[in-house]
Amino acid sequence: MKITAGTEQHRAFCIGGIAYTYASASRSVRELAAHGSLETEAAVLEGFGFDRVNVAVEESPYALAFDAASRLLEEQRIEPTSIGLLVCGGTPSAMAFHAATDADAGAASLCTADRFRYPATRLQHELGLEHAAVLALDQLACTTLFGAVRVARAMMESEAIDRALCVASEFYPAHAGREALYNCTSDAACAVLVERTDDPAARNRIVGASTITKGYYWDAAAMREEVVASYFPTAVHAIARALESAGWRAEDVDWVIPHNVSARSWDVLLRLARLPNAKLWSCNIARRWHALAGDNFINLRDAIDAGDLRAGQRALLFSHGYGAHWTALAVEV
Amino acid sequence: MCTHSYADHGDGVVLVTGATGLLGADVVRRWATGGAARRLAVLVRDRARWQLAAHRLGIAHGAVIAVDGDVTAEGLGLSRDVRRWLARDTTAVVHLAADTTFSRPLDEARRVNRDGTAHLLALAAEWPRVARVAFVSTAFVAGRRTGFVPESPDGAATDAIGWVNAYERSKAEAESLVRAVRNDWVILRSSTVACDDPSGVVTQRNAVHQALRLFHDGLAALIPGVAGSVLDAVPTDYVSDAIARLALRGGIDGATVHLCAGAGAMPLTELLAECRACWMRDPAWRRRGIELPSLADLDTWELFVQAVEETGHPRLRRVTRALTHFLPQLALPKRFDTQRADALLGVPSPRVSDYWGRMIDHLQRTGWRGVSALAEEAA
Repeated sequence: MKITAGTEQHRAFCIGGIAYTYASASRSVRELAAHGSLETEAAVLEGFGFDRVNVAVEESPYALAFDAASRLLEEQRIEPTSIGLLVCGGTPSAMAFHAATDADAGAASLCTADRFRYPATRLQHELGLEHAAVLALDQLACTTLFGAVRVARAMMESEAIDRALCVASEFYPAHAGREALYNCTSDAACAVLVERTDDPAARNRIVGASTITKGYYWDAAAMREEVVASYFPTAVHAIARALESAGWRAEDVDWVIPHNVSARSWDVLLRLARLPNAKLWSCNIARRWHALAGDNFINLRDAIDAGDLRAGQRALLFSHGYGAHWTALAVEV
Repeated sequence: MCTHSYADHGDGVVLVTGATGLLGADVVRRWATGGAARRLAVLVRDRARWQLAAHRLGIAHGAVIAVDGDVTAEGLGLSRDVRRWLARDTTAVVHLAADTTFSRPLDEARRVNRDGTAHLLALAAEWPRVARVAFVSTAFVAGRRTGFVPESPDGAATDAIGWVNAYERSKAEAESLVRAVRNDWVILRSSTVACDDPSGVVTQRNAVHQALRLFHDGLAALIPGVAGSVLDAVPTDYVSDAIARLALRGGIDGATVHLCAGAGAMPLTELLAECRACWMRDPAWRRRGIELPSLADLDTWELFVQAVEETGHPRLRRVTRALTHFLPQLALPKRFDTQRADALLGVPSPRVSDYWGRMIDHLQRTGWRGVSALAEEAA
C-alpha cells in the first residue's frame, strides 16, 4: 500500500502502511468442529458467513509478528532507525516464543526467569529499531491494535516522534477452542505504521476515534448474555462518537471496514448505526475469519489494494474487544 | 370523577367473568362497595382464590355471589340450578375473563378468549332479561395496524393486516363474535396496564415490567421502535373505574370505547431516557455502564431474533422470546382515538409521562419483586 503523510493546519497522523501474516495452515469450519474446537454447530457458523480459518501449527506468535513487521518495513522502504516508537500487543509474552503445539511450555515459563524474555524487546533488536522506545499492551483482546495506534498517536504528539510501528500477534494453542461468542478466530499478526506529517495531500489520515471500556463485562465468559446485549447499543454509541470526533455526518461514511465477526451481526449493527451510504467490506469474513491481531487493519489494506476503497473516500473501522472494549476509527483514504 | 347518573342495565343480576383478575376484581370491588344496590354474581374457577381476592378487596361476605364455572366449558360449566337462576334474573353480562399471556399458541389463546366468549354469548342468548353484554377487550386488537386507530370495529386488524401475538388476534375474533350475535353490546378496549394508579405503585407485574427488568439488567440489546413510536399505557384505576361506569350504562349500545392514553402516550425515546435517569440515581447501576437497548425497525429486530434463534443458546433465546411476543408493537406506531371515552367519562386517562418515573422508582425500590430475572431462571 502506498503511504503518504500530511496534516491540515496541524500535523496529522496517518497510517503509513499495513502488512500482515497469517498462519500457513488452514482448516474449514467442519474440520474444526470435528476436532472439537468449536462450541457452536458448524452449520450455524457457516450460516453466519464463516468458511475457513488460518491455524498456527509450527509458527510462534513472535515469528508471525516478526514476519509482519519486517514485511511492512520492506514494503514501505522504511529505514528501521527512523522508527521512534514500537508498540506491541497480542498473545501474552510468556507464550510468544512457543509454537502452538508447545503452548503449555510457554505458560510454564512464567514460573522461571524466562518470564523476562519479552517479544517486544526482541522485535526491536531483530528489526534494528535502534531509536525506538518500546512498550507493550495487553488485555485489549480484538482492540489491541487500535489501542496500540491510540497510544502511538498520544506518545508521538507528546514526545515529538514522527514514526511509530504498532504490531499485534495472536494465536490459540493447538488444543484450545477457536470460538468466542459465535465467532471463530484465525492466527495472524498485523503491523501498522503510524506517521506524523505536514503533507496536506496525506492519505489514510486518522481523523477521528473513540474508545469505550466497560469493566463491568470483564468476565465475558460468565456474562455471555450481557455481553451480547451490550454489544450492539455500545457499538452504536462508539461509532457515533467516532463520527462526531471526525466531524463526519452518518451519510459521509463510504465504507465500513469490519472486524471479521459474524456477517449476521454486521447486518444488524449496520442497520442500527444508520449509515445510509456505507458499504461493508466483508470479503475477508468468509475466507479469513476473525484475526484478533487486527483484522480491521488487514481489511483496510486489502480493500485499498483491491481498489474498492479509493483516495478521498471515508472509511470507518469498528471493533469489539471481547467483553469490555469497543473502539472505532475514522480514516480518510 | 363524573357524578352524573345514567339509566343502566344492572337492575337485575350482573354476571361478571374474570373477577379474580386484576381489572375484574377492582371493577367488582367498585360495584360491591360503591353504594349502589347491585346483585353481583361472579363466575369463578377457584372459589378459594375468589374468597381471598374478596377479602383483600374488602368486599363484605355475601355482597357478591360466587358461582362455580369456567368459560372454556360449554354452558360455562354451570350447575343446573345456577343456570336456571341466572337465566331468570340476569340483566347484564360483563365479560372480563381472558388469557392475557402474550406467548400462548393461537389455539390455546382462542380456547379462552374466543371460544370462552362464544360460550358466554350462547348462554346469554337464552336469558331473556339480558339487555347488555359488555366485553372488555384490548386496544391491541389493532394488531399491526399503524397510525390513527378509531374507536370502532375498524380499529381492529384484519387477517390481511395481521397481529403481533395470538392474544391480540383471539381478542379481535371475540369482538367479532360479540358484534355478530347481539345489538346491546359495549366493547371496552383497554390499553396496556402499567401500574395501579398515578402514584406508580405496581401490584401485579406483567410483560411490560418484565421487559423493563431486562433493560435494567442489561440483557436487552434492541428494542423495536421507529421515529414516532410511543408507549400507550394506562393505570389500573383508570380502566377499572371506566369499566365500572360504562359497562352497564344505558344509551351506549354498540359503542366501542378506547380506555387508552391516546394523546397522552409517551414517546419511546423519552420513556427510555426517563428509565435511564431513574436508574442512574443508583450508584451500582451507574457503575456498570449499561446501555439501554438500541431502537430497531422491525426488519432489524427480526434479523436479530433470527440470529439468536440460530445460535441455539437457551438463555439468549429465552430473553429474546420474552420480548418478541409484544415489543414489536412499539415499531408499529399508532395513536388510539379516545374522543368517545373522554366524552363518556368526562376525563382522559393520565398521561403516561405523569407517572412513568414514579413507576420505575417503585419497581427499583421494591427490588423488582415479582418480576423474574429470565436469564437467572434459565441458567
